[in-house]
Amino acid sequence: MKQENIRNFCIIAHIDHGKSTLADRILELTGSLDKREMKDQVLDSMDLERERGITIKLNAVQLMYHSKGDNFQLNLIDTPGHVDFSYEVSRSLAACEGAILVVDASQGVEAQTLANLYLALDNHLTIIPVINKIDLPSANPQKVIKELEEIGFSEEEIVLTSAKTGEGVKELLDTIIEKIPSPKGKKEEPLKALIFDSLFDSYRGVITSIRIVEGEVKVGDHIQMMESGAIYDVVGLSVNTPKEKEVQSLSTGEVGYLYASIKSITDVHVGDTITLEENPAKTCLPGYKPMKPTVYCGIYPIESNHFEDLREALNKLKLNDAALTFEPETSKALGFGFRCGFLGLLHMEITEERIEREFGIALIATSPSVVYEVELTDRSKIIVDNPSKMPRREVISKTLEPYVKCSIFTPKEYIGPLMELCQNKRGNFLNIDYLDSERATIYYEIPLSEIVYDFFDRLKSCTKGYASFDYEIIGYRESNLVKMDILLNGEVVDALSIIVHKDFAYTRGRTVCEKLKEIIPRQLFEVPIQAAIGQHIIARETVKALRKDVLAKCYGGDVTRKKKLLEKQKEGKKRMKQIGNVEVPQEAFLSILSTKE
Amino acid sequence: MIKSCYIHIPFCSSICSYCDFCKLFLEDKWIDSYLDALEKEIEEIYQGEILDTIYIGGGTPSSLSPSQLERLFHILQNLQKAKNVEYTIEGNFESTTEEKLKIYQKYGINRLSFGLESIYPDNLDFLERKTDKKKVEEIITIARKLGFSNINLDLMYALPTEDLKILKEDIQYVLSLQVEHISTYSLIIEDHTKLGIEKVTPIEEDLDYKMYQTICKMLKKNHYEHYEISNFAKKGYESKHNKTYWNNEFYYGFGLGACSYLDEKRIENTKSFSKYVKGNYQKEIIPISKEEKIEYEIMLNLRTKQGISLDLFYEKYGKRFNDCFEYTFLIQEKLLILEEERLFIPEDKWYISNEIIVKLLEGKKYE
Repeated sequence: MKQENIRNFCIIAHIDHGKSTLADRILELTGSLDKREMKDQVLDSMDLERERGITIKLNAVQLMYHSKGDNFQLNLIDTPGHVDFSYEVSRSLAACEGAILVVDASQGVEAQTLANLYLALDNHLTIIPVINKIDLPSANPQKVIKELEEIGFSEEEIVLTSAKTGEGVKELLDTIIEKIPSPKGKKEEPLKALIFDSLFDSYRGVITSIRIVEGEVKVGDHIQMMESGAIYDVVGLSVNTPKEKEVQSLSTGEVGYLYASIKSITDVHVGDTITLEENPAKTCLPGYKPMKPTVYCGIYPIESNHFEDLREALNKLKLNDAALTFEPETSKALGFGFRCGFLGLLHMEITEERIEREFGIALIATSPSVVYEVELTDRSKIIVDNPSKMPRREVISKTLEPYVKCSIFTPKEYIGPLMELCQNKRGNFLNIDYLDSERATIYYEIPLSEIVYDFFDRLKSCTKGYASFDYEIIGYRESNLVKMDILLNGEVVDALSIIVHKDFAYTRGRTVCEKLKEIIPRQLFEVPIQAAIGQHIIARETVKALRKDVLAKCYGGDVTRKKKLLEKQKEGKKRMKQIGNVEVPQEAFLSILSTKE
Repeated sequence: MIKSCYIHIPFCSSICSYCDFCKLFLEDKWIDSYLDALEKEIEEIYQGEILDTIYIGGGTPSSLSPSQLERLFHILQNLQKAKNVEYTIEGNFESTTEEKLKIYQKYGINRLSFGLESIYPDNLDFLERKTDKKKVEEIITIARKLGFSNINLDLMYALPTEDLKILKEDIQYVLSLQVEHISTYSLIIEDHTKLGIEKVTPIEEDLDYKMYQTICKMLKKNHYEHYEISNFAKKGYESKHNKTYWNNEFYYGFGLGACSYLDEKRIENTKSFSKYVKGNYQKEIIPISKEEKIEYEIMLNLRTKQGISLDLFYEKYGKRFNDCFEYTFLIQEKLLILEEERLFIPEDKWYISNEIIVKLLEGKKYE
């Protein structure tokens, strides 16, 4: 393929604005898949993605398109829309020259529309604004055009599409050919290939997704990872069409997979540059800024002998999820596990679900915590990413917590309830911007821990889902924080401790105790549940003793059925963690997050 | 050795809201072909053992007509009975008549079991049963006159239509009838029953427990011995037949949906009427391994006051119970009692026996 006929682009949008459906339609129109092979969200290969209707991992696919009497190669990179996965977005942007900015014709511009647009502009991409879902009865393209004009686009460059009906998709492809520049690098230069993703395949080892920035790579070449120094022979190259197709070489501007029998996961860093051993490039590509996790939680196998399996699972996930961090930790209640860092709550949830599904390990996850800073009376400073690391109160001189600046994009009728919500979340009002007479952005500073707690759910319910929001971390502020312990049957359960603002401790304590009471089944004896700050008990509930657990009738006819019931009960105990003499179900550890309805 | 036999009569003249037994509407043309098939099944399988107990259950066996009953008993004449056989038939009061009682007597029935369930009108409406006080008393009087000296009544409780006061009245009524044996059942809302389909919610666990305690207390005060989780009897009137089950001993089960336990196999008969009358009696044969047999034994034995006899266990399995299970913690917590080589759950813990049995089974020491 001639380099000038290659177009590398991605699709960016606010969540639910129709990225994946638009990608489906492009695939169909370029004839990459026939109707029989089409299913919704073709590029979302994980079951989890299809079930939840969201994109988690980025995905690259090569398409052939015939236009103006010439053949073009389009490399489309699908990206996730959720704020937790913005790291994946920024990675895909670095492999592209252009971006399609999709805006829902009835929802209009939203928080992540803007956030993703700014990311793309930072990467010097050519942007094609698209108004999608114009087939919806509630579509209002004129209004959305105005909104796009507000943020610097002109009406002429906007493409109107319906990914559902296919309307406008051909025009969009032609616009891509016309507007997005072809890749610039030189084929004659030494190889520079950017690793923008990787995954583990049990047969082929580590497979890397690469974008050739300069030069060319062929099967059989000796390659070197510039950062890790590891040297390998290229065993195979392929492109995703979206069926995998073997190729003999990948040349400047192209996107594809490279595998080289890489068995050691640690040799491959996403963001590293691949070059040729005998003719290496002088400098490596800029790569990516590693993302710092904002949310931590403990992850423990329910069965303690699965600890090593869990380590293996985390290592494999880390391979294509560079934002995930983990290190071993121990809990008195839960035994050996890992402290894991995530970019946000959804990222955490998805990771837990992937471990349970893809690796079949039953987990207990403790309630998420942000990273606190504590200044001690001896002037030293410590980092607390786990409530159990919180020092005794006597030696603390100051506690600090991360704050975010959040921007909430909302129809104006919800401004009142949103401001109330933010105030309740210890927010400081900063500013309000009216985009037009109907919509505004409200800016607040809010402690990150409040966002982690139940902000999303509250935001959705108080705006009927119409508001969207985005946030960035702005630094640490002093806060009156205390560690709240939970006691079961008089014993502190370390895995249930949380750090809370002192003014909210009583309410949180009560809510948590009430929730635990619902979740912990009755046991042979009464189980008191208490919340405490230091020695001081602030809330208490009781799980009453078990009264009835009996097979009332058991005669000749139902002996086997009754035995099966007992077997089931025995199995059920495997989903429980024995803490002291109390059996605690998995979900109890997340109940700390729950809120009063 | 097989010493017990169950016969299933799956016909009822009306269907109760809670019942999940294998039953059919009563229709004469079905009954004849059913009895034919039953006769053949017994002929094919029964090996001529002398039986200590025979139990005709249902369904509602008493809903058969006098001539159908004659036919049934005629078939059962082929079973060899021990001299002191316990020979029971189930039924309800509405369908029982003096004529039928006389037929029972003629063929050697010596134990009657009636589903009374309740006498409180709201309860009966809820259960969709039509029991009439006058009829109850009349039938019991006739039965006594004919010389039936072993009568059981079933009582249901934990119904959403009752409270403790109503339950006490029901118990009082049962006591007034002065029967030898009383079985009590808390309402279980099973999936494929009318109550299950209507998603009726069970009563609160604590109230259920209080009702159970009330029953235990009142019956004990009136000299009924609580010998199994749900069963009470005057001295010497424990159900020998049911003890076969709880002792984990072999038994025949003939009829639609009946179950047998023969030669280390648990056999379930088909529940399909058309298959059964065509002679395809057995649906599933489940071999029982030694380890499973031990588990069954524990689950069943611990339902009773007798509990597990450790001597008998050693005799049966050639292993000492203490080498098979770790249970000292259960003894310490008074969830199990070890007395004179018997291991049992104390009566006040029977209502949480599942939890105790599961904990005991979890303490298994062998592989």
